[in-house]
Amino acid sequence: MTRLSRIAGPLLVPVLAWICYIFLMAPSLVVIPISFGGGGDLHFPPKTWSLELYREFFTQPAWWGTLLRSLVIALCVTVMTTLLVVPAAYALQRARMPGGRILTALAMGPLLVPVIVLALGLYLELAPFGMLNHTLTVVLAHTMLATPFMMTSVGASLRHLDRSYEQVSLIMGASKVRIFFRVVLPQLKSGIAAGALFAFLISLDEVIVAYFITGPDTETLPVKMYSALRWEISPIIAAVSTLLTLVSLLLAVAMMRLERKERSQ
Amino acid sequence: MNAPMTPPPTPTAEEGINRMTDSATQMIRVTGLTRTYGTFTALDQVDLSVRKGEFVTLLGPSGSGKSTLLNLIAGMTQPSGGRIEIDGRDATHLPTNKRGLGMVFQNYALMPHMTVFQNIAFPLQVRRLSKEEIARRVQGALKLVQLAHVADRKPKQLSGGQQQRISLARCIVYEPSIILMDEPLGALDKKLREDMQLEIKRLHAELGVTMIYVTHDQEEALSMSDRIVLMRKGRIEQQGAPEDLYFRPRTLFAADFLGSSNLVEGTIDASAGQFRTSLGALPLPAPQPGAPATGAGVLMVRPEAMRFDPASDAASGWPGIEATVRDSIVLGGVLRHYLEADNGHRLIVQEGSSAHRARPQRGARLRVGWGPDAARLLPPDPEFGKT
Repeated sequence: MTRLSRIAGPLLVPVLAWICYIFLMAPSLVVIPISFGGGGDLHFPPKTWSLELYREFFTQPAWWGTLLRSLVIALCVTVMTTLLVVPAAYALQRARMPGGRILTALAMGPLLVPVIVLALGLYLELAPFGMLNHTLTVVLAHTMLATPFMMTSVGASLRHLDRSYEQVSLIMGASKVRIFFRVVLPQLKSGIAAGALFAFLISLDEVIVAYFITGPDTETLPVKMYSALRWEISPIIAAVSTLLTLVSLLLAVAMMRLERKERSQ
Repeated sequence: MNAPMTPPPTPTAEEGINRMTDSATQMIRVTGLTRTYGTFTALDQVDLSVRKGEFVTLLGPSGSGKSTLLNLIAGMTQPSGGRIEIDGRDATHLPTNKRGLGMVFQNYALMPHMTVFQNIAFPLQVRRLSKEEIARRVQGALKLVQLAHVADRKPKQLSGGQQQRISLARCIVYEPSIILMDEPLGALDKKLREDMQLEIKRLHAELGVTMIYVTHDQEEALSMSDRIVLMRKGRIEQQGAPEDLYFRPRTLFAADFLGSSNLVEGTIDASAGQFRTSLGALPLPAPQPGAPATGAGVLMVRPEAMRFDPASDAASGWPGIEATVRDSIVLGGVLRHYLEADNGHRLIVQEGSSAHRARPQRGARLRVGWGPDAARLLPPDPEFGKT
């Protein structure tokens, strides 16, 4: 057993890990070479190489306009989730209020209900009020979906935050508002950043809910991709997928850099 | 408002005056203070007064209620009953940030995202002082704790001792009239702890601030306090000056918690002037306030009050107890002997050591006893040993 683990440690585990990575990543990576293909139809490996698909994407307003809208929506979702959930998580964690546990469970709810059920529910609920096909509606729906993630990551930061920082600040005469902004918030930075990243990415690639509640004027990029795939099998999708992957990757790297910088301080 | 059972500590002239003008100089007055958690009573009807400038230590084992009492004074927990006055004003339900206190925590509680300077400036910013005034005061506080050179560092870059000094500086920089300390040296090693004890005493003397200090370390309590308040199971067991508690404990718990002691159970025979025990008849100590006069009791003698060959001490006719040496150890400046009487009862004798003093052989037979003033009679305590 010990001999096995001695060999397995340095060799087997990394090999297994890499196999898993490749297995998981391959489908996403395969679209990258396809996106640089000659156009016409989806082929792997591409027969010819060109930037034709990217040129098409950026010259058709129906495509890049949708990307822009998706980015704006994701940004709004990130800001709203942060503004709503950070104070809520702090209150739920620190104040002993009646029904606090129920509120926490409710905030985590979107994670437990199947997305298709949520989407259908929203559709049926919003249709009579004429709220379908509104950008704001998409922002609100995505904020709800992102809430549990922000709640979880900020909650974890809060659990690690020793109460004595707040106690000593109170004793020194600080008001609760000052304590929240000067003492608590700076120490939740990495938790908030992680939650914000989740919120942005969730909104950016969410398709089911958006498919139900958007119309032709408010289509998000994933919805547009889905329709494109269903109705026209446009090879532009490969370019779009590559761009989306790039955005996510850039954000994740920026996040990691930020965290490393913070830890080294 | 001192508990009536407390004997007045031998008052110095200054203390005598303080006592006469009691209400004017009392910084903290706590009456009937109670805190329960469900069915558990953490603090039970405690009365305590602290004079201006006094250094009071709350001493006790964990769960004795000392931290609960401190947290109630700080306003971090709400009392289930009773009253707290701070500087003559009712503060029972005053929010923590309106009490005007200072506090030092065991874990320092320095903000990790602020530099040392920013940490110390924080309470001054709360008080809306000008930038120049803040800079001046922070520098002053840093000088007072001899760490002026670390102003721009983050707390993480400092040693434990330095961090605690900074948290002291942060506490004194806004000049609260009362400072609470919750086991502030608990996380430091012994040597550093002794340095910091002196540092805290020096600051206390220099600033004339009222201090309430919580510790479970009896040596720390003895060496630092003007007054020790010994707590047990949510009540005050005994309070008084350090020498009072050490030399005149009134209960077994007090005798045992502060220092080590030889304890012998027995029955008082007042007519014969004897205390009958399994070690034979021992001389009955002179009557003391609070000591039992008849019936069962426990005799206590501090190890350093024990003597070899008591009969050779002129007046005493008592031959002492014959015992066998089990072990002798050198504790720096003192020698400590562990002996066993013929009935198995263990005795500890402590004396000053010197380079010329030979340690007795293991197994040697010696007579041990004590002088007439060295022993104290304490009431028996059925719950003792269970806490």
